[in-house]
Amino acid sequence: MADEDLDLLFSQARDTRDAMPSDLVTRMLQDADAVQAEISAPSIPEQARPHRGLWAQVQQALGGWAGLSGLATACAAGVWIGLAPPDFLPDPVELVLQQQMEADLFQETGLGIFLTEEG
Amino acid sequence: MSTPSDDALLVLFANGDPEAARMLTDRLGPRTFNVAMRVLGNRAEAEDVAQDAMMRLWRMAPKWEQGQAKVSTWLYRVTLNLCLDLKRRRRTVDLDAVAEPEDPACSVPERLQNAARFDALQAALMELPERQRQAVVLRHIEELSNPEISGIMDISVEAVESLTARGKRTLAKALAGRRAELGYSDG
Repeated sequence: MADEDLDLLFSQARDTRDAMPSDLVTRMLQDADAVQAEISAPSIPEQARPHRGLWAQVQQALGGWAGLSGLATACAAGVWIGLAPPDFLPDPVELVLQQQMEADLFQETGLGIFLTEEG
Repeated sequence: MSTPSDDALLVLFANGDPEAARMLTDRLGPRTFNVAMRVLGNRAEAEDVAQDAMMRLWRMAPKWEQGQAKVSTWLYRVTLNLCLDLKRRRRTVDLDAVAEPEDPACSVPERLQNAARFDALQAALMELPERQRQAVVLRHIEELSNPEISGIMDISVEAVESLTARGKRTLAKALAGRRAELGYSDG
C-alpha cells in the first residue's frame, strides 16, 4: 500500500477520534463529581472532635480497661501479701521493726555516759 | 474570551468548579479513549481504561503544579501504562469487540466501506509490536510531535522516529493486498 493510501486511512481514523460514547462521558463526569465532593469536604475541625477528659486520657495511657484491671489486681495482691503474708515469706511488719532496732546504735547507753567520762 | 489551558482548568477543578470537569472531559476524554481503543483493540476495555485514566486525573488535580508538565502528556502516559497493565493480564485480541464508529452522514455503502477501512487499519495496527503501535497511534492518529511522544513514552526522539517509520512500513505491507477491497482505486 502506498504512503498516500496509508495517510488517507490515518486521516479517516482522525475524523472519528473525537467521538466518545455518551455513557462513558456520563461516567467520567460522575467520577469527577465524586472526587470534587471529596476534595471540598471540610476536614473535622478541632472543636468538633469529642473532648477527652483527664480520666479518659489516663485510662488510654494505661492501656484501656484491660490495662486498668490488671493494674488494680496487682495492687490488691500487693496489699493482701503485705497484710497477710504466706508462711514462706517473712512478715514485713517484723522486718521493719528489726531494721529499726538494728539502727538504734546507742540502745540502753545514754548520751549522759559520754558526757560524764569527758567531764 | 480566551480558552483556559488544561493547567488552569485542573486548578479550577480542584477548587470545586463543576464546569472545569465538563471542559476537561470534553477536551481530554476522547483522546484517552481513542488512544486506548487503538492500542487495545477492544472497545469495552478502552472505555474502562479511559475512565480509569480520567479518574486518576481528577484525583491528581489538587496536587498538580502548574507548568510542571503538559496535562495531556501526563494523561497519555497514564493511559498507555494502563493499557500495558491490561494487556499483561490478557493476551487475546478480540477484534469483534471493536465497534467501528458510525458516521450518520454517510450512505450505507460508504459506511460499510468506512467500517472495512477502520477494521483493516485496526487489524493491521494490532499486528505491530506494542511500542511501534503506541508510537504510530500517537504520531499519525493523535498527531503529536516526536518530542512530545518521546516525553510520553520515555524514549529518545530518534527512537520515536525509528518506531514510527518501522511501524508505518509494516502497516503498508500488511495492508498492501487490500487496496481494492478497501476501495482505493489504482493509479
